[in-house]
Amino acid sequence: MKIHVDMDLCQGHGACVAEAPSVFALDRDGRLVVLNESPDEPLRDAVKAAVKYCPTRALRLEPN
Amino acid sequence: MSAALETPGAAPSAAQPRGVAPPLLSRSWPVFGHLQELRRRPIELFWRVRNECGEIGELNFAGNRVVLLTGSEAQEAFFRGSDEQLDQAAAYPFMTPVFGRGVVFDATPEQRKQGLRNQSLRDSFMRGHAEVIARETERMMAPLGDAGELDLLDFFSELTMYTSSACLIGKQFREELTSEWFRVFYELEKGTDALAYVNPYLPLPVFRQRDRARRRMVELLTEVFARRAASGAAAGEKRELFDVLLSIRNPDGTPRFPIDQITGMFISMMFAGHHTTSGTAAWTLIELLRNPGFGARVGGELDALYSDGREVSHQALREIPELENAIKETLRLHPPLILLMRRVEFDFHYKGWTVPAGKLVGVSPALSNRMPECFPDPDRYDPDRYAEGREEDAQLFAWIPFGAGRHRCVGAAFAMMQLKAIFSTLLQRYAFELAQQPESYRNDHSRMVVQLAKPCRVRYRRR
Repeated sequence: MKIHVDMDLCQGHGACVAEAPSVFALDRDGRLVVLNESPDEPLRDAVKAAVKYCPTRALRLEPN
Repeated sequence: MSAALETPGAAPSAAQPRGVAPPLLSRSWPVFGHLQELRRRPIELFWRVRNECGEIGELNFAGNRVVLLTGSEAQEAFFRGSDEQLDQAAAYPFMTPVFGRGVVFDATPEQRKQGLRNQSLRDSFMRGHAEVIARETERMMAPLGDAGELDLLDFFSELTMYTSSACLIGKQFREELTSEWFRVFYELEKGTDALAYVNPYLPLPVFRQRDRARRRMVELLTEVFARRAASGAAAGEKRELFDVLLSIRNPDGTPRFPIDQITGMFISMMFAGHHTTSGTAAWTLIELLRNPGFGARVGGELDALYSDGREVSHQALREIPELENAIKETLRLHPPLILLMRRVEFDFHYKGWTVPAGKLVGVSPALSNRMPECFPDPDRYDPDRYAEGREEDAQLFAWIPFGAGRHRCVGAAFAMMQLKAIFSTLLQRYAFELAQQPESYRNDHSRMVVQLAKPCRVRYRRR
């Protein structure tokens, strides 16, 4: 799976960071950084939760 | 209605050949244009644009030209516009006398591009906020007794004044507030008459009341700071944001931030989350009472969830699907902001049309949320629209109670959590019923900040 972020929509709430901290982070200015754009299968549930709980629906999950 | 409600960001687009001017809507009167219609029947006015002009049409507010974009596609072009091209700051003249000059929009474009400036809205703070909101709701219920009648506007205005100040400004600060604060704040909100498009300082009663309310707020804050300085609270461990701001000095010893400016900061921090959440809470309760089938489903859901004695602060951060869908449907039918605007900084092109620099462009959530092609049977209250399989709120540029794109309301997640915490607390303790005819509850659209019109009473009794 591959993570797609629509940066027109992201506001840096950090809900994804709470759901999947090994995949997402906020930099010092509060901007989203994707640490791992193609996370492995064991992370699937956490990443799906991040997509679901994104307050601005900026995240999308695409198959590889 | 403030730009403080939406968030900043962006990137310019390439030059394009000039298209045709959008058509001007009919019945534009000399001098005032459509201003009086805006003040009396704003939502009907926006529908007139869509029905007569199509997806783009021009309104005239006393010489201020506002091009209204309607429909998912045109609205997406608006919401994806860059900050450099579409500027929020200049679009809301009726807010300047409320906030004061130089308060809200003094961020540089570079600062605006950064993430959430108000860190207190970050996800990691929500747990603490949920506890505060549940506690504040308990405090508001304490004097209610076993049964009685209450005014929804007064009740929720006061409650959200306490929750917003405690969460966004500070818990110590909240303890300084009395019910006079919410009455003064209400006067400020009422001062947002669209006549500000003519001149926000016209010598009219509504603007004089607004300015009197703002002066009173400065006095109240001055008293708070004097009290806190005298008690030592402003310097000790209980020091909060505003104590710090007040203590900063220029090299010559004078205060860096005058009390008037700090008052403006206070108002701007409170404004975005106050009338919006207050109105949504009131309308949620009204709709659940007008639609008892959904009311019973929400009541049953909450009773089941909390039957094990779990904390509201814990659950409000998690899913409460029936209640969430009821709130979303309330927001669709009664969006707190009915017109979002930007000023065009360089020519804005959409299909074959061009809006030249200097004009405003606008989108109406009140219209968009009821477009029948996106929301079947649009006037019907139906929270099942958001159930799995339908998910009508997934239309990001049509379901827009919070706006859309990078300026989407940054407080949306906070607001949803707050409403879940309020109703989890309130509906466990009290049962409500309408005290008026179901159709008599309505919004007052005479001001740009939409408020519930009085009377708006409900009866309650302890469960």
